[in-house]
Amino acid sequence: MDWTPAPRRTTALRREQNLALVSAVVSGAVIAAGLILLLVARVNPDTASGVRAAATDIVAPVWSVVRSPLDGAAKLAGDFSDYFGAVSRADRLEAELDIANARLRAARAGQRELQQLKRLMAVREPTRTVVATTRIAAATAGSVARTAMLAVGSGDGVTRDMPVIGRDGLVGRTLEVGRTSARVLLITDPVSRVPVIVERTGQAGLAIGRNLPTLLLADRVGPDQPLIVGDRIVTSGDGGVYPPGVPVGVVVDASPQMPLIRPASSPLGGGFVTVERGWLPIPADTPAGPVFDAPVPVEARTRGAPAPRLRGADTP
Amino acid sequence: MISTPPPPALLMSPAERRRWLISLWRYGVPALASVLFLVLMLAPVPVSLPAMPHLALMGVLAWAMLQPGLMPPWVAFLIGMLADLLFGQPLGVNATLFALATGAMRMASRAFGRHGPGFDWMLVAAVLLGVALTTAPLMALAGQPTEVLPLLWQWLTSVVAWPLVARTCAAVQRRLAASAPQWRHG
Repeated sequence: MDWTPAPRRTTALRREQNLALVSAVVSGAVIAAGLILLLVARVNPDTASGVRAAATDIVAPVWSVVRSPLDGAAKLAGDFSDYFGAVSRADRLEAELDIANARLRAARAGQRELQQLKRLMAVREPTRTVVATTRIAAATAGSVARTAMLAVGSGDGVTRDMPVIGRDGLVGRTLEVGRTSARVLLITDPVSRVPVIVERTGQAGLAIGRNLPTLLLADRVGPDQPLIVGDRIVTSGDGGVYPPGVPVGVVVDASPQMPLIRPASSPLGGGFVTVERGWLPIPADTPAGPVFDAPVPVEARTRGAPAPRLRGADTP
Repeated sequence: MISTPPPPALLMSPAERRRWLISLWRYGVPALASVLFLVLMLAPVPVSLPAMPHLALMGVLAWAMLQPGLMPPWVAFLIGMLADLLFGQPLGVNATLFALATGAMRMASRAFGRHGPGFDWMLVAAVLLGVALTTAPLMALAGQPTEVLPLLWQWLTSVVAWPLVARTCAAVQRRLAASAPQWRHG
């Protein structure tokens, strides 16, 4: 019988091989866990929103403290340049003031007329209410998601889906709110869809972020009206989150296939942003009453019972 | 070297045991440095391109090169989960990518052994490109399909920033090794 036993592995070798096996198994398990997490996120996008809010609660105040001396230095530099450019600036401003006063006089008559007409038609308009004013504390400039963090949160009255507006135009809307921080979905994020109109023609459309410096103007409704480079794009107020008339950007590429908008505000430049209340109250998403699968008797309905609501697309 | 092996616990004096327990934080330095890079990435830089270099991932890769024992895939996974939470991405995208990238670095170091900084640079550039290209399918798996093209800007800046990150991590590692606690055996 020509049989020789396999040479026994040394202890060190065995130990090393076992460790390599264990680490390979652990690595595989970790990657599998990541893929499972992704599937969970697909089914339920709100997974771990509490943990997310807690994480931003920790990081946003840190950055708002870190950036404050930098903002101070920038302000100091700005003050110096203001001092040296003051005279020419005052001249320019006076010229601008003359033009603006002339326009104002013309506009006052129109405004009075508009007020009278509105009173005649009894138009009820919602008003814009500022909830908080703050600086952008932190931002993700290195990710597929373009979001920013504010150092204000539910403690300051900020809730989900509030418009965030900068000095020059729309910045985005709040996405997740923690105790002292809020995450803002910037309009350049690929998920962002802003209902807009072209100011010159009144044509409605959607401004879609691309994670690039420009936005895409898509889904324009109505007859095909050609755009002109330089057309101002403002929010339309559709959907109820963004108030109407807030500048979104300017058309920089008027090609009919892919019109592009350059955003009016660069949100991370260091200016202040305001968080406003949603333009129109968002309807409650909890159903008003129970869902009946069976019809409600006529007798019950005459006594005030709600009409039967069948299980369908809008009920769980 | 993080520290010389300590004497058996039974032979430690109370002072030595205390010193040993306090010195355990040194094992967390690679993870802590990567988390610090991650927070640094959240700086509100006024650019409208995703041009911030992926410092967190580069930190993880540098530590996987310098201290493979202290940056195993599961630690990279945890750092990636933190990145997902802070970037507002679906939970699991960066976690999976960081773990995969660390595994790739391990395989590469096993296959090629010791090599120079130029080779490291090319290797990291390849791994970062793989990560940038794999982000889109993973985001699609999580139900948020995105374009991959803007991320190539980040790849460019990351490749340029690699020597700085690698030198920073190496400096931390040198300082760590210089201050390693000495144990009195016997």
